[in-house]
Amino acid sequence: MINQLRKIYPSLLVYKEGCDHLDRAYKWFVTDDNKIIGIREEELTCKDVALLVTFLNPYTTDLPVLTVEEQKWRKVIQMAELSPTSEFKLENPYRLIYFSFKENQISPILFKDAINELFAKQVSILWENGHEGIIIEEQMMYEECISYEQIIDVLMSDLYVKIKFFVGSFKEELKDINQHYQSLTKAAKTIFSYSNKTVVTYIDAVPYLLIDQTELEARLDISKTVLQDYINDEETLKMIEAFVQCNLNISETSKVLYMHRNSLQYRLDRFLEKTGIDVRQFHHAMAVYLALIARK
Amino acid sequence: MADLKLVNIKKIYDKNVVSVQDFNLEIRDKEFLVLVGPSGCGKTTTLRMIAGLEEITEGDLFIGDKRVNDVPPKDRDIAMVFQNYALYPHMNVYNNMAFGLKLRKFKKDEIKKRVDNATKILGLEDLLSRKPKALSGGQRQRVALGRAIVRDAEVFLMDEPLSNLDAKLRVQMRAEIQKLHSRLQTTTIYVTHDQTEAMTMATRLVVMKDGLIQQVGAPKEVYDKPNNIFVGGFIGSPAMNFLNGKLEEDYFVMEATRVRVPEGKMKSLREQGYAGKTIVLGIRPEDVLEGPVVNDSPDTKIRASIEVSELMGAEIVLYSKVNNQDFVARVDSSCNVVAGETIDFAFNLEKAHFFDEESELRINTN
Ligand SMILES: Nc1ncnc2c1ncn2[C@@H]1O[C@H](COP(=O)(O)OP(=O)(O)O)[C@@H](O)[C@H]1O
Ligand SMILES: [Mg+2]
Repeated sequence: MINQLRKIYPSLLVYKEGCDHLDRAYKWFVTDDNKIIGIREEELTCKDVALLVTFLNPYTTDLPVLTVEEQKWRKVIQMAELSPTSEFKLENPYRLIYFSFKENQISPILFKDAINELFAKQVSILWENGHEGIIIEEQMMYEECISYEQIIDVLMSDLYVKIKFFVGSFKEELKDINQHYQSLTKAAKTIFSYSNKTVVTYIDAVPYLLIDQTELEARLDISKTVLQDYINDEETLKMIEAFVQCNLNISETSKVLYMHRNSLQYRLDRFLEKTGIDVRQFHHAMAVYLALIARK
Repeated sequence: MADLKLVNIKKIYDKNVVSVQDFNLEIRDKEFLVLVGPSGCGKTTTLRMIAGLEEITEGDLFIGDKRVNDVPPKDRDIAMVFQNYALYPHMNVYNNMAFGLKLRKFKKDEIKKRVDNATKILGLEDLLSRKPKALSGGQRQRVALGRAIVRDAEVFLMDEPLSNLDAKLRVQMRAEIQKLHSRLQTTTIYVTHDQTEAMTMATRLVVMKDGLIQQVGAPKEVYDKPNNIFVGGFIGSPAMNFLNGKLEEDYFVMEATRVRVPEGKMKSLREQGYAGKTIVLGIRPEDVLEGPVVNDSPDTKIRASIEVSELMGAEIVLYSKVNNQDFVARVDSSCNVVAGETIDFAFNLEKAHFFDEESELRINTN
């Protein structure tokens, strides 16, 4: 195919592993067999580009060039079904971590350089665009680990950028990786529209993901039925949310909210009186928690 | 030279959460300014607006004379240290400090110059080739500071940098950061929820609650003249006691008990129209004595039933009920009181504060 294309576009180049940058005078594409090819912009009309992207993936020049490892991952993720002949051999359990940062704040190449310094082994990063993507982290025995909360703070101080992570669970096989990849990316976008935490794990996200699947009407109904007169009482609802987040522990909640424990008790009692819901009990607390999410 | 000015700053996150508003503040060059308040009051948001990591919804931010609302964080000449600070686990100390500069494509000798300088300041000479896992908690924290120092920035921003450390190390690092500040004289904005940390470190502190500034002042000023009940209760440990009562003639009256308000204070309260009104009296635990009188002044005695007594060394903290209201006193440990007893406390009313019951603002009485 490349040779045929070269007949039409004499400027066509195939990118060679090891070059740092892709020439900006070229428009870059990725072929199905993971070759990166460039064609000089002046050789291309809008129509040409429209045509080319029907069978080639556009490649942003700002993105780091895929490593061999990354190409392997991309290939296996893009396969709808894992073929038995796939040469990919999994060495360690892995997990997918979605990340995003504000657009145009830092170059992806810089991000990648910094991320790689945090892990023992070079990690693979598959970019969705210049500010979002998936990190594939392999589980290492005996590795000095740092948490994603720490990674955020380290990168924030070095790169001056605020990052969000949605952390998937470790998997031991590649089966269904395609689906896993898709659903993780989708879940990440959902979760960050609800939560203002910067690191969310798949487990944390479960209630949000379930609620997000419901119809708007059902959500309205749940929040109205459970929260009743309190539906617009931000202060009380914030208090209850904190109470749930503190594992229904009164002293911890009162500390976090800087509120006297007696007045916290009193307000929880009031809530019980008015709604019949005792948030000190786990199943009631869970219902209120879901209603709070449904309200968002 | 870096002074900062925040003018009518407001932050609204999406979904219409107002998290900071009416924020007006001038931060002076070389100052060590501490933002303090309970969790969720907007400290981090404010700091990140200064850093450029959060957009400013309304208002203006100036660093020096320049309005920087739209200047990206990397161009604001700031260095930051955060709560979950960490080091690159596979790099040695030298490279940990150098890495931020490498990413920014600084020349090798410039990097070396700056890292050497930070090394000297922090006394890290013998540790340069160690990996983080071979460092103690305090040493790691110092390297984290080193990573900020090499930036040579005009302003340091620190967000609860000590809150993940154990109590002993925290106290030690507090002193270290102060020493660093007096040496480098870099304008520093430091965020903490810990009032002790704020009181001991700040040249000035800003007390925040619910996204609003409650008071700005030197630690002693804020401690001596809290603007309102919130600040009175938040600053100082154990917290200030508040008692509800009524001003009758020369007395502050709570049901069966009463204490005599010193003449000067009473005069000023009367002038401001509080005679005969309900009012809140605030008194710090350290301004209460065990015994019936203080400074020979009459009628300062209040009965308290002791619930818990905690020996703290030279002092003893007594948790009690006064007129059914919680009450804490910090008295000399020579006093021998146990839980279950009922004793007399004497109030040093010269040191007492009065607050308007409605507005919760402090009434100026001196
Ligand atoms: N990204 C965000 N989206 C929505 N609300 C947020 C976000 N970050 C913080 N908030 C809210 O803004 C308020 C102030 O938060 P923050 O500045 O983190 O407080 P502090 O640092 O004093 O604990 C809180 O009510 C918090 O829930
Ligand atoms: Mg904070």
